Amino acid sequence: MDTKEIILSGILEQYVLGATSEAENAQVVAWAIAHPEIAQEIAAIQHALESFAIANAIEPKASTKAAIFAKINEHSSAKQAPVINLIESDTPVYTISNKWKMVAAVSIGILVISSALNVFYFNRYNNVNENLAVTKQALANEQAMAKEFKSNWDIARNPNNTLVSLKGLETNPDATAKIFWFQQTGEVLIDASNLPNTPTGMQYQFWAIIDGKPVDGGLIITNDEGKKYRIQKMKSFGKAQAFAISLEKAGGNPTPTTVVSLGKII
Amino acid sequence: MDEVKYSEEELVRLLNNKDQQAFSYLYDNYSAILNGTIYKMVEDAALAEDILQEAFIKIWNNFASYDPMKGRLFTWMLNLTRNLTIDTLRSKGYRKQQLISSDENSVSNLADQNSIASKYDVIGLKKQVQQLKPELKNIIELAYFYGYTQDEISKEAQIPLGTVKSRMRAAIIELRKLVE
Repeated sequence: MDTKEIILSGILEQYVLGATSEAENAQVVAWAIAHPEIAQEIAAIQHALESFAIANAIEPKASTKAAIFAKINEHSSAKQAPVINLIESDTPVYTISNKWKMVAAVSIGILVISSALNVFYFNRYNNVNENLAVTKQALANEQAMAKEFKSNWDIARNPNNTLVSLKGLETNPDATAKIFWFQQTGEVLIDASNLPNTPTGMQYQFWAIIDGKPVDGGLIITNDEGKKYRIQKMKSFGKAQAFAISLEKAGGNPTPTTVVSLGKII
Repeated sequence: MDEVKYSEEELVRLLNNKDQQAFSYLYDNYSAILNGTIYKMVEDAALAEDILQEAFIKIWNNFASYDPMKGRLFTWMLNLTRNLTIDTLRSKGYRKQQLISSDENSVSNLADQNSIASKYDVIGLKKQVQQLKPELKNIIELAYFYGYTQDEISKEAQIPLGTVKSRMRAAIIELRKLVE
């Protein structure tokens, strides 16, 4: 390319506008050194564009200058020791700008806070989990109890049962109990929750009086509260005239020793 | 301002040595031009001064990267300022589109308040620049204030690249005639 072509190509305008690549910049500089006309042309373009910029000049606020000087004095101590700038170091010195220092500081801060929150929330999570387990257990207990009540209630209100109230005899007026007798099936259930606890080594025994003779109906549990307050299943009887409870030694006897409660079937 | 006048070579040498007095001189002479250039691009006086401040801090801190072999000091400062402004605009999500749509009638009255008139005949220059044909003035503004490449101008304005190049040259030649 001769100088005229270069000038006409428009690359010099681009160069002055800063729109050329590094390679193109190097090329233009080389041309400017080699050809005074090119250098002159560049200077003229620069001058024209500067005029354009000057035509649009706006004086900034006075405080802007002060702010700039405050910033440069805050950043550098170079003014106090300008000599340092003349010493060329072989090893490059990497500096981290205050902006990035700030970013790093903020990042670390966020990390610390985040970690603390992790611990906090993890503990809270554990607590919640424990609470949840406790609540689940409590709920299971309630559900079991409700089921129990429901089955007891179902027995009590079943229209097929014959309710027999056993009354305490003179010696043991408090020894009362309720029998639910299902005559079709012979099933006998007892609510023993009102029976007084037995002395140690003793146990209540249930009897059906059939044709004037007591027949063993099984042992009643009273000293275990969990069981005492639930309806207990006794042996089944197809027919009976009365039911009785006697106090026996633990394990029971083939015949009743001390009858404490009796109820006739009407 | 003080009476001191520096030649460009002196100024460059002093600034390389972090001479604040020279920097003050540089600011007094160029801040209004750079500020006006930034304002033309951002059309927001407060934002313009923020960018101006950043630009001068960059000029101070990066002065060592100025190479007198590659062009005049003023051109370097202008390019640095313009690039910084473009970066700022991009980081703020501005679009070039917006800039184009507002370029024509936005020559603000703010320029009239400037006090740089003592050093440059701003009013005179303004009049001269206004004499440019609109399409020539427009093409210079797109390239100069908004940092468009000739390629981009060709695409945006839907003018063939060859026309953009010749118009750009014509515009600058015209401008040269007006200001000489």
